[in-house]
Amino acid sequence: MDNMAIYIDITKCTACRACQVACKSWHQLKAEQTRNRGSHENPPDLSAHTWNRIRYIERVKEGHISWKFFSDRCRHCDPPDCQFMADTYLEGAVIKDSSGAVIFTEKIKGIDPNEILSSCPYNIPRYDPETNMVFKCNMCIDRISYGLQPACAKVCSTGAISFGKKDDMLKLASTRINQIGGDATLYPGEGYNTLWVLPDKEMLKHI
Amino acid sequence: MTNHWIDLQNSDCILMMGSNPVKNHPISFKWVMKAKERGATLISVDPRYTRTSAKCDIFAPLRSGTDIAFLGGMIKYILDSNLYFEEYVREYTNASFLVNPDFRMPGENDGIFSGFIGTKTDEGYVDGKYDKKTWSYQTDENGLPKKDPSLKDPNCVLQLLKKHYSRYTPEVVSRITGTPKEKLLPVYEAYCKTGKPDKSGTIMYAMGWTQHTVGTQNIRTMGIIQLLLGNMGMAGGGVNALRGESNVQGSTDQGLLFHILPGYLKTPKASQQTYKDYVDQSTPKFADPMSANWWQNYAKYSASLLRELYGAEVSLDDAYTYLPKMEDADNYSWLMIFEQLYQKKISGMLAWGQNPACSGANANKTRQAMINLDWLVNVNLFDNETASFWQGPGMDPAKIKTEVFMLPCAVSFEKEGSLSNSGRWMQWRYKASEPPGEAKPDADIMSDLFFHLKELYREKGGAFPEPIQKLRWRYGPADASGKLHHVDPHLVAKEINGYFLEDKIINGRQYTKGTLVPSFLLLQSDGSTSSGNWLYCNSYTDEGNMAARRNKSDPSGIGLYGGWAWCWPLNRRIIYNRASVDKNGKPWAPEKPVIDWHLNVWRGDVPDGPWPPLAQGQKSRYPFIMLPEGVGHIFGPGLADGPFPEHYEPLESPLDRNPLSPQFVNPAVKRYDRGGDSINIRSSNDPKYPFIGTTYRQGEHWQTGVMTRWTPWLVELQPDMTVEMGSDLADELGIKNGEIVIVESSRGSLEAVAVVTIRWECFDCMGKRIHQVGLPWHYGWATTAARNYHATDKKPELFTFGDTSNLLTPNIGDANTMIPESKCFMVNVRKRS
Repeated sequence: MDNMAIYIDITKCTACRACQVACKSWHQLKAEQTRNRGSHENPPDLSAHTWNRIRYIERVKEGHISWKFFSDRCRHCDPPDCQFMADTYLEGAVIKDSSGAVIFTEKIKGIDPNEILSSCPYNIPRYDPETNMVFKCNMCIDRISYGLQPACAKVCSTGAISFGKKDDMLKLASTRINQIGGDATLYPGEGYNTLWVLPDKEMLKHI
Repeated sequence: MTNHWIDLQNSDCILMMGSNPVKNHPISFKWVMKAKERGATLISVDPRYTRTSAKCDIFAPLRSGTDIAFLGGMIKYILDSNLYFEEYVREYTNASFLVNPDFRMPGENDGIFSGFIGTKTDEGYVDGKYDKKTWSYQTDENGLPKKDPSLKDPNCVLQLLKKHYSRYTPEVVSRITGTPKEKLLPVYEAYCKTGKPDKSGTIMYAMGWTQHTVGTQNIRTMGIIQLLLGNMGMAGGGVNALRGESNVQGSTDQGLLFHILPGYLKTPKASQQTYKDYVDQSTPKFADPMSANWWQNYAKYSASLLRELYGAEVSLDDAYTYLPKMEDADNYSWLMIFEQLYQKKISGMLAWGQNPACSGANANKTRQAMINLDWLVNVNLFDNETASFWQGPGMDPAKIKTEVFMLPCAVSFEKEGSLSNSGRWMQWRYKASEPPGEAKPDADIMSDLFFHLKELYREKGGAFPEPIQKLRWRYGPADASGKLHHVDPHLVAKEINGYFLEDKIINGRQYTKGTLVPSFLLLQSDGSTSSGNWLYCNSYTDEGNMAARRNKSDPSGIGLYGGWAWCWPLNRRIIYNRASVDKNGKPWAPEKPVIDWHLNVWRGDVPDGPWPPLAQGQKSRYPFIMLPEGVGHIFGPGLADGPFPEHYEPLESPLDRNPLSPQFVNPAVKRYDRGGDSINIRSSNDPKYPFIGTTYRQGEHWQTGVMTRWTPWLVELQPDMTVEMGSDLADELGIKNGEIVIVESSRGSLEAVAVVTIRWECFDCMGKRIHQVGLPWHYGWATTAARNYHATDKKPELFTFGDTSNLLTPNIGDANTMIPESKCFMVNVRKRS
């Protein structure tokens, strides 16, 4: 399979959270009993049942209110630190698929979950004591392998989430960064299979 | 919508005011973002900075309930700077018409228009209505309005408009709305650029405009702006109501409201005892032959409706007598129904697909009123606060006599049929799965009810059996006894379209009895055709079910997609489109033409009538075909509360007076609070309730949450009743973000989680600092953890917290529509002790 990427233009995200629900729907992840904690953001954190979560970033920028929305999820690093660590225990527990997707397989049960959790520089994977497994976004490997888009990209109505060949996604990102101007930036960088365009570098402090 | 969802992409400037489309109409933003990519300016005007504002180029805050002041200021700005599209205004509106010299406007007449008959109090006039005699044109010897095409006569509409809004200076507007002047003017400047002939601006509004005592006039104000700027009929223009349910457009089209029959025909009045009186009084007359005055066809549509209901065996005169009549001075709106119920004048209720205990204003009154019911039938997917009102908060089941029946019904995906979206598109959809258990489609439940009633009338007689006994019910295959057991939605759709009831030759062409009528142009007043809704005639023809079409091509180039589904009227995607061209039929905006006159035919969208362009004289017709005069109403004499919109304060206001005039509240509204019953209490400018409250929706829940509160993935996103407030206010009250607080009005109180935000700033109005807070209305006690669940009560997988914000809202309605004023009322917020 071609090297693919999810590309998220956060200037187009309206926080409708269809992607957050579509993720739960496709993967049949259970709902969590939450409370409103003074924010519309929910659940409070990523979990074994929440692999994609929209964060609401409210700030004052140059005297104006700025409200941005960031879809927090696996960066699908290339190469992934989690795989590097997992391979030292058990090969095949974490796979970097040819598509670019980083996949946790059932073999992950054989590894101390704390090792997996601490290996991620972005604090993404979450442990589920019920199954003794660690979970995170798998780029909808069971969709993309059959030529479908990931569920999140499929339901995005404003065009904030795209999915395609990584080279094409990088081109889209680069064009968009030029259009936005200022210090708009690619996040985390080119060595990833999830790519975000941020409208300014100050956003980095919030994600 | 005069236009449609996809057409938003064609706009040069989109004003989002009285709506929060990102949250409540999320898919609309697919098209709004496309417009933005094309270079459109996006403007958000809202009491607080919303997720919509976050995507806009310009944001301006305004105090809830002051939209007319804000937009009135824009009208003044347009006129002062000559930014209006002069040719359009002169030719396509009534701007040049001369008005009755006795007509008086609020600025010169104590805050009201001429003709008010009512009582004067220390806050202005109340308890009355307008005699509209002076709201009229000067006419010549032929009965035609006198005009001044130079638009200079002091009595012409344009000059009166100028005079009326001369009072709405930016300073005055800013003092009323609380919008700082430096935020007001950029909105005016950006929007008014669409007055150029080839530019178009549009408005996306929703309940933020309608749910006010001046709701209809809010929209009228924008209608005037759209006419002045020449935006009606244009691609990327129009006045676009974002409807609150997927099929609310369809249900309104089909006569859901009390004052209209299907196709916006009028509900008969008690004084109209004969069909002739009804038709005569419902058919507008206008002397100018250049005006199409489309409603002159009224009798064709009313006769076809009566034929659909009662068939050719009953004469039109008799069939008309079967229709219910409204008492002339009465109304039968939601607020009145619950007033009558509260007064014990109604003893039974079908709550069908509704949850009044949460959805209606002043929910405590609604809930108290239901105690007076002998019986209540709840047709719904789930138990809810209405069906279980007798076990709700503060109720003693032992003392409530009401017998409640629950009839489970199918959800939309469990039945076939059509829905009509905000853009008037009738789209057919198919059944995805069987309804569970005993649940049935609504139409089947209605059909069973009908046959049961018919049988009871047959067995036991009754005062007036004919309206039921003779009702034609051809919606499915009948058994030997004539009863049908399942309604076929295709047959219903065909009846709505209509049939020829006899062989007929029209314009030399033969039409055969029993065939479908291809267009409402062929409907007849003599009873030879039937049509359940003339506007939908052309939707299901001998060529098939138009709503089921799925052609994705767009020969128009502007996203009309004329082969996708079907749209009323006659598949016309943008109405008033004859106003999008000049007198020669050339588009004002050649880059995005809606129609254009080419080789002596119209091409593009289905034109608003086949006539040639206006330059061809008598053969042509003016563009606004639904109005008697054929031109757009800048002066609108049809409404109950004035031909020009005027700012009045909400029923409950933080101010002690109307900054513009001695008239505090819209004089033409029906006031329940003046009867003295504490259930209808009003608290305006009362230190006990110092903050403005408003209600709105969350994208994650729908209506009263009867469906979404049972959907765990959505409850997870928005579990709790909240009150959003500015950080200034929270600091003043010592409230922490995330804390549960009490919000109370003079009618009720509730608990809510405080969401403290910098997005909600304090307003400065008339030198007074005014805070506003906002509450969603989707919640109800039935799905909370704290309630008592009986063994047979279903428990939700995830609990919600809190009850509806309608516990706080006042039961006061708009002067024209009676929609409740849920968007501004006075509340207090305090810490839970």
